[in-house]
Amino acid sequence: MGSVFSHHRTNADRSAKDRSRHKEKIDKALKDGIHDIVADESIIGQDGKKKIRIPVKGIKEYRFVYGSNGQQQAGSAGESDVQRGQKIGKKQQEGQASQPNKPGDKAGEEYYDVEVTLEELAEYLFRDLELPDLDQKHMKEIMFQKFKRKGYRPQGIRPRLSKKESAKQRIKRKKAAEKQGTIKIDPETGEESFPFIEQDLRYKHIAITEEYASNACIFFIMDVSGSMTTNKKYLARSFFFLLYHFIRSQYEKTEIVFVAHDTQPYEVDEEKFFGRGTGGGTMVSPTIEYVIDQANKRYNKASWNLYAFHCSDGDNWASDMDKTCKLNETLKQMCQFYGYCEITPVDEIRWAGSTPLSQAYKHLEDKKFKVGHIHQKTDVWKCFKSFFGKQLSLEK
Amino acid sequence: MSKCTLEDLQKWDDQIVELGKQRQLDWYEIAYETCDYHEMLGAMAYHGMPTHYNHWSYGKSFEQQHTHYQLGMSGLPYELIINSDPCIAYLMLENPMYLQILIMAHCVGHSDFFKMNRTFAHTRADTVVPRMRHAKKRINSYIENPHIGIEKVESLIDACHAISYQVPRYPMDIPSLRENYEIFRKENVQTLKKNRLELQDLPYQPEYDILGFCAEFGQDLEEWERDVIQICRDEAYYFMPQIRTKIMNEGWACLQHYDIVHQLDLPQEYHIPFIKSHNQVVRPHAGRINPYHLGFHLFQKIVERYGYEEALLAREVHNDESFLRQYLTREDCEELNLFSYSSEGGGQYVVDDVSDEQGWENVKKTLINQVGANSIPTIYVESVERNGTMTLHHEFDGRELELNYARKVVEHVERIWGAPVALMTMIDGAPYEL
Repeated sequence: MGSVFSHHRTNADRSAKDRSRHKEKIDKALKDGIHDIVADESIIGQDGKKKIRIPVKGIKEYRFVYGSNGQQQAGSAGESDVQRGQKIGKKQQEGQASQPNKPGDKAGEEYYDVEVTLEELAEYLFRDLELPDLDQKHMKEIMFQKFKRKGYRPQGIRPRLSKKESAKQRIKRKKAAEKQGTIKIDPETGEESFPFIEQDLRYKHIAITEEYASNACIFFIMDVSGSMTTNKKYLARSFFFLLYHFIRSQYEKTEIVFVAHDTQPYEVDEEKFFGRGTGGGTMVSPTIEYVIDQANKRYNKASWNLYAFHCSDGDNWASDMDKTCKLNETLKQMCQFYGYCEITPVDEIRWAGSTPLSQAYKHLEDKKFKVGHIHQKTDVWKCFKSFFGKQLSLEK
Repeated sequence: MSKCTLEDLQKWDDQIVELGKQRQLDWYEIAYETCDYHEMLGAMAYHGMPTHYNHWSYGKSFEQQHTHYQLGMSGLPYELIINSDPCIAYLMLENPMYLQILIMAHCVGHSDFFKMNRTFAHTRADTVVPRMRHAKKRINSYIENPHIGIEKVESLIDACHAISYQVPRYPMDIPSLRENYEIFRKENVQTLKKNRLELQDLPYQPEYDILGFCAEFGQDLEEWERDVIQICRDEAYYFMPQIRTKIMNEGWACLQHYDIVHQLDLPQEYHIPFIKSHNQVVRPHAGRINPYHLGFHLFQKIVERYGYEEALLAREVHNDESFLRQYLTREDCEELNLFSYSSEGGGQYVVDDVSDEQGWENVKKTLINQVGANSIPTIYVESVERNGTMTLHHEFDGRELELNYARKVVEHVERIWGAPVALMTMIDGAPYEL
């Protein structure tokens, strides 16, 4: 009895199909789990083209297994000696955790790194969201030029040559020639010869159409006073960062005005806004006043959709409250939507209507004015969704 | 090292076969297939099966092994052999000649074990390859059927895989549960007082074959669904013996390759690398159990203590659990430096017992608890209510289930069973219902 030897008959790459199904599953997991990572440090402050690596949890295959609590296992110590009661370090974890700062909660938890750009992220994230109540304003501005195919022309550039249309022209001409009996016979082959001529050629015509769309202007207002701790500022910036990318990815023609404030408003550029701020006390009314003023001056309500978003920790001078509320009411009337987002990190939850601003704003809340709360990273997306979720605007 | 030709392999194989016969081995003829590393990885993802149905989990398995290999975290296994008649084994052409010799002798050991060990008695090795091929065809036809499609098939296979280890552990032919129940009912017609099979009376005894039970009695299953479940069940029955005999199987193959290669007239330049490779395979893994190490050690000891005849007998009648119970002595535990440990949380472990006078029996007990199928919780179908709710029962042996996983698995079982499923287990010393 001998053995048989043969070369392995390769059936192409047999696992290719299963690998691609696996990849689809990972992509889906990425889309589903993406909301958990929107406030991740590695994302905030990056520009859109940069690729970021996101660890995605491996697709688990569940079975009945024993838990690890209090369970004894046996092992071999090899050459080394062990004593009863001796502590031994981390058991070598099987499987691979590719993210050293994010180990799995179990041995063998795998992570796959998936590379996406911020733009792709934005697409996953913002697909179902829109600016609430975007109106068509009567003064329109050209939003973008659209190129569209529109018929055929006898002149054009070579790349737009339409072979089909040109051939049709030649056939027409040939039929006509047959009727006339003027088809030449090629002297060498004795066959009919009927070449293309310049007049047969047809080119696709491209027309430029102009599309109109609504204008929108958005005020980003952020409290940068001394009471805004690093953590709070970070949460606020996460929120604005999301908002910024949302606006930029979904709406081509929007203007954004960045306003930072302590006791005074400062209109700043994008970079400074997302960078570090100043310290100082908090007074909200001058800022609201400034925003109203600027909106009136620069963005006529008749032709612009106005939006404003304010992030703050809710502090304000008591003496300023009445004025703030009054101005707030005015701003609300001017805007399509006005969002107030209060940042109170978990470690100092005093909220429940206790901060001056949220207490005062609670009564103002309606369809055009909403109050959101962010206590921790995971709330950023929730708050965002509550402002822009489609289903919310449908309910109204 | 120059590449080996099929003629060289054949020449060495003839000698190995001759020595194998002298050693009273009786094995399925081996069909070696030479391949490159990529093909080896491909074959590994499907447990070496020449054809196998498609499922994303095999793609995942391929990716993992590929990554590990590329990162140098693990080498490729030297051998890959399947339990079939004839046995199919893969030889990587990148391997040097001495390694091919080692592998071929090793494969003879495995093939002999597949054929002779009684745990494998019902694996129907002669038909496994066509069975798998046919299963793949059927599953493909369900995937391509516009009324079914890949999503449905995949999710059902996901669910089946979740409980595929939940099959009876003792060697048995794959039964038809409906027939068995009918026979049982007729034999016990006096006590059961039932004149036909009724769902709420089932199972008559604890039923460990959860897949089989679902396939027979599942609620509103379509024909293709029963077929997919049966395919997964068939494969589970087929692989269970390999799970139950990992240590013995590898130990036996190592013993054979070690002795056979020593009897071969190996050229000088092959000898040292052979010893190196052999030691690499049977070295202890710190803190864990290397089945090659433990199995090889025990078989050598058996030959030493009781003679080769005893080893031949042991490879026929035992499985890992009974093998260790029978042959693992205090002397072995000490020599292998075995100890038991448990988690203290936070990745810290503490040594509970070492292999000395008062500790070795506990160490042995702990070890036996984790070999073969003992590392898999035992769960059976306890009862079915009139409304279709199925109750599963976990046989508690002091080890608690990982509840997050158990919850997901129960969801999978509900998918297969088609009605609510409950699981009874013990948590913190009290009964717990999931």
